[in-house]
Amino acid sequence: MTERKNRENPTQGEGGAFYRIVTLCLMAVLVGFAVSLASIAFVDSFAWLNRALLISPRIRVQYESNPMLLVAATLLVPALGGVVVGAMFSWLSCERRSLGPADVVRAAQLNLPLPDFRSGIVSTLAAVLSLGSGASVGQYGPIVYLGAMVGRAAAYLRIRIQALPTIAIACGVAAAISTAFNAPIAGLVFAHEVILRHYSMQAFAPTTVASATGYVVANVMFDRPALFLVNFSGVGHSHEFILFALLGVISAGIAAIFMKMILQSAELAARTRLHATLRTGFAGLAVGVAALWLPDVLGIGTEALRFATIEGAFSSLELLVLVAAKIFLTALCIGFGFAGGVFSPALLIGILSGALFWTMIDSVQFVPHSGIAAYAICGMMAVASPVIGAPLTVILIVFELTRNYDLTIAAMVAVVFSNLVSYRIVGRSLFDLQLERQGIDLSTGRDKARLDAMRVSEHATGDYARAGPDEWVADVNARLDRGNWKEVYVLDVEERYLGKLRHEELTAFGNARISEVVVPPELEFNERTSMREALEALGSYAGDGVPVVLSNDRRLLGIVTKASVIRAYLGEVDSIRAEENAPG
Amino acid sequence: MHPVRLALPLVFASVSFAQCEPLTVVSWGGPYQQAQSEAIFKPFTEATGIEIKVLSYDGSIESINERAVAENWDVVDMVEDRAIAGCEAGFLLPFDAEEIVLQDQAVPVRQDFVEGAFRECSVAQNVFATVVAFNVRSYPGIKPTRMEDFFDVEAFPGKRAVQKSPDAILEWALLAEGVPARQVYDLLSTDRGLKLALRKLSEIRDHIVWWDDVADPVQLLANGDVSMSTGYNGRFFSAASNDGLPITIIWDGRLIGHEVWAISNASGRIADAELFIGFATAPEQLAALAELIPYGPARRSGQLRVGLKPDGTIPMRDHLPNAPQHGERFLTRDTVWYAHTRDLRDRRFQAWLNEKQD
Repeated sequence: MTERKNRENPTQGEGGAFYRIVTLCLMAVLVGFAVSLASIAFVDSFAWLNRALLISPRIRVQYESNPMLLVAATLLVPALGGVVVGAMFSWLSCERRSLGPADVVRAAQLNLPLPDFRSGIVSTLAAVLSLGSGASVGQYGPIVYLGAMVGRAAAYLRIRIQALPTIAIACGVAAAISTAFNAPIAGLVFAHEVILRHYSMQAFAPTTVASATGYVVANVMFDRPALFLVNFSGVGHSHEFILFALLGVISAGIAAIFMKMILQSAELAARTRLHATLRTGFAGLAVGVAALWLPDVLGIGTEALRFATIEGAFSSLELLVLVAAKIFLTALCIGFGFAGGVFSPALLIGILSGALFWTMIDSVQFVPHSGIAAYAICGMMAVASPVIGAPLTVILIVFELTRNYDLTIAAMVAVVFSNLVSYRIVGRSLFDLQLERQGIDLSTGRDKARLDAMRVSEHATGDYARAGPDEWVADVNARLDRGNWKEVYVLDVEERYLGKLRHEELTAFGNARISEVVVPPELEFNERTSMREALEALGSYAGDGVPVVLSNDRRLLGIVTKASVIRAYLGEVDSIRAEENAPG
Repeated sequence: MHPVRLALPLVFASVSFAQCEPLTVVSWGGPYQQAQSEAIFKPFTEATGIEIKVLSYDGSIESINERAVAENWDVVDMVEDRAIAGCEAGFLLPFDAEEIVLQDQAVPVRQDFVEGAFRECSVAQNVFATVVAFNVRSYPGIKPTRMEDFFDVEAFPGKRAVQKSPDAILEWALLAEGVPARQVYDLLSTDRGLKLALRKLSEIRDHIVWWDDVADPVQLLANGDVSMSTGYNGRFFSAASNDGLPITIIWDGRLIGHEVWAISNASGRIADAELFIGFATAPEQLAALAELIPYGPARRSGQLRVGLKPDGTIPMRDHLPNAPQHGERFLTRDTVWYAHTRDLRDRRFQAWLNEKQD
């Protein structure tokens, strides 16, 4: 019920097309600008922490003459970081958990509000600290959430445009990705592919503007460096495309393991009796202990990302150990309460897997190939893509980061095969899997998910005839005649629902008390019944009204009629259609 | 900045002329020191009456430790990372460089000087580049143009002269490995990065002739002992333009560094030393130096004044390390990192050298 109250009520479009276009574009520029600055501040903050807390290799090497200090920092910084992150969630956040793209997808798909602002801020700060103290988590999830949060704030502007909150969120997300990757096209596509999941001109234009604004701020105003530069002269042999496809299939398996482990780790964490501070601290300590032997697992690992494209930088064994360690530690960190995303760890796991795949190809003497870079990049994108469920975005990221057409085609093949396989094994993305665990199934379209999210009780009415069990049938009959009621609902003195009677059935009984003739209900809903369940049940139901009964004390909340359910259904379908087909 | 600093003559009028002991300034010898004499030392004595005794050294902190007290060193010309290390080791005196340097017009000195110019014990004076140069006669056909070519002894055969030090060469090894300039120091900060750089260096191990003295590279190239050599851009320029030697610079991958002035802790004449540093970093003096040897002024007001070589033959701005036509790929030396990783890099480099003898 509360959900319905919070449900965003899109105001119907007012003003002409010109008004709409101009206001939406201005809003997009505003959101793009704000999100871009916020994302840059976010990245700079945790990079500063990395330096201050002796996580960044470039600072660590300068204390090389003081090994005890380095060991202490390696063990204590992630562990204490975890304790503080756990404490932040326990005592400052209403949601008590890290917020990420899944929450944004939920809000945009079901037309629900984002979690509260305060939890969003706590989650963002916790992510800065998690990344800053070297936890094995990613930066892009929190950046996407930050973008959505800033975008959602813009929807409070007093402009009356249909579906504004969703569009504003999409703008924020597009600008965030555009800034973070220096990739405006990928930002635009990500907002559509992952968040909106439909293409309407009304949303397309402002997200494009927001994405371009983010790019301008990052590139022209701040001159931020590109995430990843790689020299690649082209795919030399046609048979390599088969290898890329094969790499895609293998990557799907790795991505599936990665996603499953994250979900399982979260379940395990829920079962442990440890307090959140200790639990997250333990995950941090595990990262620290591992980093004593495998320094590459600490933090985001931009150095390892680069090494993976250099032939001979890692031995096959090192690659294998690192892939396994990174999967395990990322799952542990995310499941046990660090705040952060999964995309950057997936990129690292992928690029190392790609490099590993290449070392195997290379060891077979007579298979000619075009060098490690292509395989590393293909692996990187083929593992990352199914995790976020965004093949198009990922292909575009390769294109925009490397500006290399050949490499993009190679990555495209690997990404598509990976997504295909992974979709069959686990599902569309980690975000969808996380939502599925909250009971939101987006796999069959969002109309269904929205009907799942709507409670039929929101359409219950208190306008019905009632009778007590001790009343005489004749008295009730007379009352029904006067009020022209067709049905009567029988309640005891404590308003508990006993059953219902149809008017024509009642007339058949003579001198009897209601309690003697009332029949147990053939169909009833409760406060949790979704609109979709209601629709399915009503299909074979002969009566008119269905009682909505509270499941704990059986009090009657109200009744819903077939007509009101159908009206609500049509209303929802209309609003989805209006959103998806809105003109620019 | 105190207003009186703006009026140069006033400052010099306040100086005691009674000092008969000359101010000891230590530099690097060769064409660089000659250029400094013309552009800075002589004009300073003319303006202030303070005599200057010039000594040369090899740029190392060890030399300061061994010689400074015995030889009464006052002002030392150093590369920035050594100055940072020397400052931390207590061989140099801290001073407030922002108060010493002279303001040009109304531009605040912090905006005028290059970023990071003012440090605890030093102030940047000029910008130099460590580069690879080659003897043009060694390559009658296709000439080397990229850092990768230095490591490619098949396409560009011939001996390579390399300074016997991990400075610059490790960075270049990673650049030649395809690492973007921006990431070189991040990667060199890891054990894996150092291994990769040394592995790259191993590829040309048998083709290396080691040099120690900064004058060696030109000599080795001129004699035809080597085809390519690492070295400093100013000396290569002098060799080509003054001595007519067939030496040209590969600007790709150049490593840009700051040359600084510092005050030795053996100095008993701090006021004069500071006065000298103020004079030596004035835009006119820096421009005059850059016209003699292409080490670019470390402040914008100086860069804007750089004109023709005094013989009127060459516009010198084109030959400064930061001239735009030299291409986009360059590294800026991370001097703090340099100062703090010297021991590690020396140790790893030495271990690699020893491998060779096994």
